[in-house]
Amino acid sequence: MNSIILPARCDRAAAEALWPELVAAMGASATKIDGSAVSHVGQAVLQLLVSARRSAGGASITPSAALLDAAELTGLTAELFEGNEP
Amino acid sequence: MSPEEIQQIFFTECEESLAAAEGGLAACKAGTQDADTINAVFRGVHSIKGGAGAFGFAALQGYTHTFETLLSDVREGAVELHDALIDLLLKALDTLADHVTAAREGGEAPDDTGLIRAMEAAMAANAGAAPASDPIEEPGQTTDAQSGDDFGMDLDSLLDDIAGVFSPAAKAATWPFHVRPHAGAMKNGSEPLLMLREIVSLGGVCASCDVSQVPPLDGFDPAEGYLGWTFAIPAEVGEAAVREIFDFIGDDCALAAGAGAGIPPVAIERSAPPAVSIIAAGRPAPVSAPPVEETAERPTASTAPASAPAAPVAGQSIRIDLLKLDRLIDLVGELVIAQAMLVQRLDGAALAATEELGLLESLTRDIQESAMSIRAQPIGSVFSRVPRILRDLASSTGKHVKLDVIGESTELDKTVIERLGEPLTHLIRNAVDHGIEGAEDRIAAGKPAEGTLTLSAEHRSGRILIAIADDGAGINRERVLSKAIEKGIVAPEAQLSNEEIDNLIFAPGFSTAEVVSNISGRGVGMDVVRQNVKDLGGRITIESTPGKGTTITLTLPLTLAISDGMIVNVGDQTLVVPLTHVVESLRPAPGDVQGLGSTRRMLNVRGRFIPVLSLNDALGAGTCARSPEESVLIVVDTESAGQAALQVDDIQDQRQFVIKSLATNFRPVEGVAGATILGDGRVALIVDVDGLVACALASSEHATVERLAA
Repeated sequence: MNSIILPARCDRAAAEALWPELVAAMGASATKIDGSAVSHVGQAVLQLLVSARRSAGGASITPSAALLDAAELTGLTAELFEGNEP
Repeated sequence: MSPEEIQQIFFTECEESLAAAEGGLAACKAGTQDADTINAVFRGVHSIKGGAGAFGFAALQGYTHTFETLLSDVREGAVELHDALIDLLLKALDTLADHVTAAREGGEAPDDTGLIRAMEAAMAANAGAAPASDPIEEPGQTTDAQSGDDFGMDLDSLLDDIAGVFSPAAKAATWPFHVRPHAGAMKNGSEPLLMLREIVSLGGVCASCDVSQVPPLDGFDPAEGYLGWTFAIPAEVGEAAVREIFDFIGDDCALAAGAGAGIPPVAIERSAPPAVSIIAAGRPAPVSAPPVEETAERPTASTAPASAPAAPVAGQSIRIDLLKLDRLIDLVGELVIAQAMLVQRLDGAALAATEELGLLESLTRDIQESAMSIRAQPIGSVFSRVPRILRDLASSTGKHVKLDVIGESTELDKTVIERLGEPLTHLIRNAVDHGIEGAEDRIAAGKPAEGTLTLSAEHRSGRILIAIADDGAGINRERVLSKAIEKGIVAPEAQLSNEEIDNLIFAPGFSTAEVVSNISGRGVGMDVVRQNVKDLGGRITIESTPGKGTTITLTLPLTLAISDGMIVNVGDQTLVVPLTHVVESLRPAPGDVQGLGSTRRMLNVRGRFIPVLSLNDALGAGTCARSPEESVLIVVDTESAGQAALQVDDIQDQRQFVIKSLATNFRPVEGVAGATILGDGRVALIVDVDGLVACALASSEHATVERLAA
């Protein structure tokens, strides 16, 4: 099972670094994304996560409080975390 | 760019915003209360708030929020702008400046609770009393992000609009606002989420997020913006207030408001990849917009924003690191020297290249002037601080002073401007504290109760003249003289001219104030002012008419890098005497110079004796000094020791020279202000006239006073 760990500061630069990793990690099963260390998140990473969730295989994201907060702010809670594997 | 640098830019912009707001409020006070003026004030405060939020200055942000809300009420016509309110706003602006300073220096935020309460009272007292008078705009037409700046909302009609759309009563109190950040909104450290947070802080709630445009990972570009949002904004929040949040990023974020509009389409900058089609992008908000209106409004909603993200207008100005600019000025200085060297060399070789040399010379001069003008700034940036000083003074002294400013667009070197602030502040404080009388005295003297302070700046023969004039009582010469005698600054039997008495106020340790206030009166002021001005290569003069007022004039060089000077020969040395000090030069007739005591000599200039200083002796040039009759005497004016005559062998030339600091390149030398490179490549020292004369005459302080008295 592939697992990708998100950095604490998920800004646009982080999105650019994460994107190839996510593309490489994509497979038949859901990519595991560990966001438990995230303290700051921007739009770039949020939409990248949305994209990962919608791609083949999907993704399962472990959120941090900051990530949950940002998802709630942007109305993406269901989009990002619904049906997450525990 | 590091966060510190960005923060630095923020503070620079704060200064500009504060100045703009100050200017706007001053115009309001003067009677110009149109929408543009009030908007300028609002924008100034708003941009400080935006930056404060981004950098996490909570106290500053909280304060500006209250301030902004009140201004927003004023702008929307909900609160009437009367004199008392303008005064409150001015006070609020002063505190805002203190807040900015506190944030910049990491100091403690000023106490603003009273002001915040006053501002809240000003809003609450009138909130909702007056309906917005601006014309109603159809929500569907407001999708262009540019137009959102200036119109107010008619809340009633909006409410009606929404009431028809949302059936539950609870939801009727909100209106939808659509946001679509484009790629540019995520560049350069700006973050759309921060703005969404601001919407939430206004009471907005995210109704839906449009994720339909997010491509699968393999078609994904991390630099693009794919998300769009619809927020439900409470009805009491105006559309303009929400749009203001996005002022910073302008076209990089498409906005739309109202029930009829949808989320603006995505704008992909590259030629559209197959995964994301621009035509398919005009998808409306999925939740908040009702289906009936949606179809009707879709064409406007999807076409208008598509044209909005046009290429932003190229900036009319850029910010340059001062160091880079200094380097350029330095190089231009070198060029001037190299050009002078070339001229001299070709002259020596008797080559006739006059035309080309003339061209080169004029080009060099043009380059030099352009380079200097880059550093030049209007003096208005210093003058704009004055109203604040006057307000502070008015509250502490009770003297209300009207300010007249003339020539605020006069430009001078940035370094001069930066160092001018302090002496100017001091002079203004002095003028108000000592110069302008209390209201009762003024009325008794037949003058208007409100004093007038006139600040003027103008160019005059390559220098800048700044005058601070008050219409107060003028200098009380009797009191000045008796104080000076009491403090031992002049001998009791001295007979001084009016001018000399006036100049006594610049003497160290002098103060006539009967009560030492925190404004002035400690006697450490005016001599420091004079020193500051002197350090800038300037001079300070004073004119006073009893009963009519006092004018203090500062004469400053336009730049600190290049100056005019007299090139003189002393023995085998070449020296430069700055022209600002030179009064006249003469070859004395026999008998003009007379001995005093064993070593001193005095020059008789039209019946007045001034000491003669031999530069040969003073600088230890080492050659045998000629007699005064065989040499040239340059009469110089000094700040501290009156006039003196410098004895030199002859005068070679008078021209511009580039000042090179000795302190940076070697070490400070007493009596020498710096060095310059002459046309033949040799280094010539620049004489520090003040230092040299003061030093040479230091042993005979009493003699100076006696000479003044003579």
